[in-house]
Amino acid sequence: MISFFRWLGNLLKHIAGEPTGSLLKPGDPGYQEAYKLTSNLEKNIKIITEIFGLSDDLMVRGLKIGRGKKHVRAAVIYLDTLIDHTRLQQGLMHCLQTIEQLPPRGITTEWLINNALSDGRVIKKNSFVEITDEINQGAACLLIEGLDQALLVRLAEKAGRAVEGPVTENVSKGPHDAFNEDVRSNIALLRKRLNTSRLAVENLEIGELTKTEVKLVYLKGYVLDGLVDEIKSRLRRIRIDGIIDSGQVEEFIQDSAFSLFSLLDSTERPDKLAANLLEGKAGLMFDNTPIVLIIPGTLTAQIQSPEDYYQRYWFSSWIRVMRWLAILTALLGPSLWIAIITFHQELLPTELLMSVLVSREGVPFPGLVEALIMEISLEVLREAGLRLPQTFGQTISIVGAVVLGQAAVSAGLASPGMVIVVALTAIASFVIPTQPLSNTIRILRFPFMLLAASFGLIGIIVGFSILTYHLCSLRSYGIPYLSPLAPLSFDNLKDTVIRAPIWNMLFRPRLIGYREPQRQNPDQRPHPPARKGKKFIRRRKQ
Amino acid sequence: MLDRGRISSVQLFLLLVITEAATAFLYAPSKIIQMAGRDSWLTPLIATISGLLVAIVCIALAKRFPQQVFTEYLPQILGKIPGKLLGGIYTAVFIHLTSVILNQSSSFVHVAFLRETPLVALEILIGLASIYGVYLGIEVIARQNELVWPVWVLSILIIILLVAEGINLDNFRPFLEKGIMPVIKGSALAGSFRGEIFLLLMLYPYLNKKEEVYKSAVYYLLTTAALLGIITAAIIGVFGDLIPVYMVYPAYDLARYISLARFLERIQILIVVMWISGVIVKMAVFFHSAAIAAATTLGLRNYRVTLLPILASTIIISRLFYGDHLRLINFLSKIFPYYGPAVELLIPALVLLIAVILKKGGNS
Repeated sequence: MISFFRWLGNLLKHIAGEPTGSLLKPGDPGYQEAYKLTSNLEKNIKIITEIFGLSDDLMVRGLKIGRGKKHVRAAVIYLDTLIDHTRLQQGLMHCLQTIEQLPPRGITTEWLINNALSDGRVIKKNSFVEITDEINQGAACLLIEGLDQALLVRLAEKAGRAVEGPVTENVSKGPHDAFNEDVRSNIALLRKRLNTSRLAVENLEIGELTKTEVKLVYLKGYVLDGLVDEIKSRLRRIRIDGIIDSGQVEEFIQDSAFSLFSLLDSTERPDKLAANLLEGKAGLMFDNTPIVLIIPGTLTAQIQSPEDYYQRYWFSSWIRVMRWLAILTALLGPSLWIAIITFHQELLPTELLMSVLVSREGVPFPGLVEALIMEISLEVLREAGLRLPQTFGQTISIVGAVVLGQAAVSAGLASPGMVIVVALTAIASFVIPTQPLSNTIRILRFPFMLLAASFGLIGIIVGFSILTYHLCSLRSYGIPYLSPLAPLSFDNLKDTVIRAPIWNMLFRPRLIGYREPQRQNPDQRPHPPARKGKKFIRRRKQ
Repeated sequence: MLDRGRISSVQLFLLLVITEAATAFLYAPSKIIQMAGRDSWLTPLIATISGLLVAIVCIALAKRFPQQVFTEYLPQILGKIPGKLLGGIYTAVFIHLTSVILNQSSSFVHVAFLRETPLVALEILIGLASIYGVYLGIEVIARQNELVWPVWVLSILIIILLVAEGINLDNFRPFLEKGIMPVIKGSALAGSFRGEIFLLLMLYPYLNKKEEVYKSAVYYLLTTAALLGIITAAIIGVFGDLIPVYMVYPAYDLARYISLARFLERIQILIVVMWISGVIVKMAVFFHSAAIAAATTLGLRNYRVTLLPILASTIIISRLFYGDHLRLINFLSKIFPYYGPAVELLIPALVLLIAVILKKGGNS
């Protein structure tokens, strides 16, 4: 008896996470076997309730299975807050209570699964560790007198929102559903788009305490060679107490620890994820996170919006060119202006130069200080707009417009030219379709401004060289970050600066999708139907 | 090999083009026009012959030791002490050439517009940008060049397109007035710039498909000949054959000549900026060769530790020897025509001869 209590105490300490000297650790051989269920119902219940200790939402309901004298005592244990009560009632309790006759050889778990329970998600477990894990995830545990196995029915009803529209990646044409916090419904959204058995969904777990569910999704036979193993090995290396959001994992598994650029692409749009899987990439979904990571990431992928593929290619190509221009503006706008008004006034046409000089007359600061004042207040304003409750949003925009636009100029803090440049820069930075890249460019703007103020355009080009050197050196899971621009591959440029017609994009990206290079049949360009009597000749590529 | 990078034959071709053209198109035309007059646009074509000679010698030598750079196999051919000695000399040559390039770029920027910025500051700035590329390796330099190259070539072509209306074809006539000799003399000068393909000695091991080296070399020779020829022709066409002799940077003056519809004027600064991005790549290639040469000669295991000392010495050499811009011009026109062929052609040819006689290295 004493030894039993000591054993129980050790078990409790272990599960509560207290250091114990002699206890087995997870992963040791024999760890799972050490704490098995006994066939004594009371003892089992007692241990489980003591493991949960102070949890007030733990429910233990006793019941009898079978009628008359041949009944068996049983108990259902679950966490009240996690359970779907209708399903608990219909799928478990009702089924158990309506059992008329027990099998002659005594009750077994197999018999219950096959004959009594109507709910499909039933598993058997016999160690306390696994049982408590399952109860924590919303399973109801059925313990039966005389059996040393427990039945776990997964009845979790996750609190969360329904499938809604995207928050950051809006499109005007194209699907409007977005991922939410429930990983299962996210996978359902993906499976709806990829109706193939080649879609693999591998399960992983991160976080000693949070035990966050991670799903690695990819297309078997299409995914980049060795990518899946590499992702798994990097994920397994993470030893942490808890993961709340995918952004935390991203910092563990990206290639370059200190780069300003986000080396993994991320999205909240199922259509974007599906399209990326089709190219041969892999996705990482996290429970409780609407943002899915796409691996490997490239810079060019962050400049593409899913809408590019849903619109006419002329317009998409035009928008892409505009987007590149916008990125350059967002990055270099203020620094170019500083360089021009400080060093290279001759670049402006004479009339413009005159008016710029006149408007700058009352401004006491050099160009750099003027730009810093405006840029920093814009950054602060932007952050304020993001954090404020929605009802205050209007206040901020009025204050921003009046204070920054009007008052700063009339007070002589900034010249109208600088206000225009800063506003243009801000607007341009909103054109970038992905948030991480937009944030990176917001930060990079400042070193460029310093370089421009000290060396003019030469400073800017030197900074730009350093930036491109850095970008050229980055890799994401073996894929050069700047591909297909550098190293250059001409065929993939069709989907970089412009967007070629869909029937023309015959091949997957060369470095990522080489296992199944061809995307579609060649020569699918639409033709008018052949005329009568005139033979319609089609050239076919071999 | 100290740098594990791999470059493709196209990347090698683009690198070689930018290493030559980035400075040659600015500094060569004035001196060539002085010697060859209005027929100077022919000189880059004729100088291709000397470039071809250098290429043949360097490739033949490099093919004997496909996995090693020049300074690495010198001791195997010449014996330990002479080999290391020559390796040291080549390290010095690379450092010297790097400092010349650094001086060219900084003084050009200084003359062109940043008059009040100290030259040392400019040199440190441009030098740091270059050694960052070298720090990341030859592969990154080659990729960066793929981005720089189109911008760079486009900017040159745009200059020529925009000054096209100012070209007077009479400036080219009479053709070969004084015979072919002045052109050949000018070619000797142009040839010293064309010889920079000797960098193949240091770049060959990184090439991923070794058999394509001929293709890169030939394309390089033809492309640079065309580029330099076109630039020189444009200068003669616009300014005639007299004025450019007194210009320091005729190509820059060509850009200043642009005036389109009264609003696209004074855009030469943009050309300078494009040009600096090319120079940073060129410097990075020379820096890389210098660092690798230094590291292999000294037997270091990591070439990156040599970068800062080399940067410091290039800046010091550049400031001490070429602090006066005339000295640089003097070096380029008086000394470089002998110095260049010696290190680019003569010494590698001698080493190749010794290697052939002593049967060192792999096949032919």
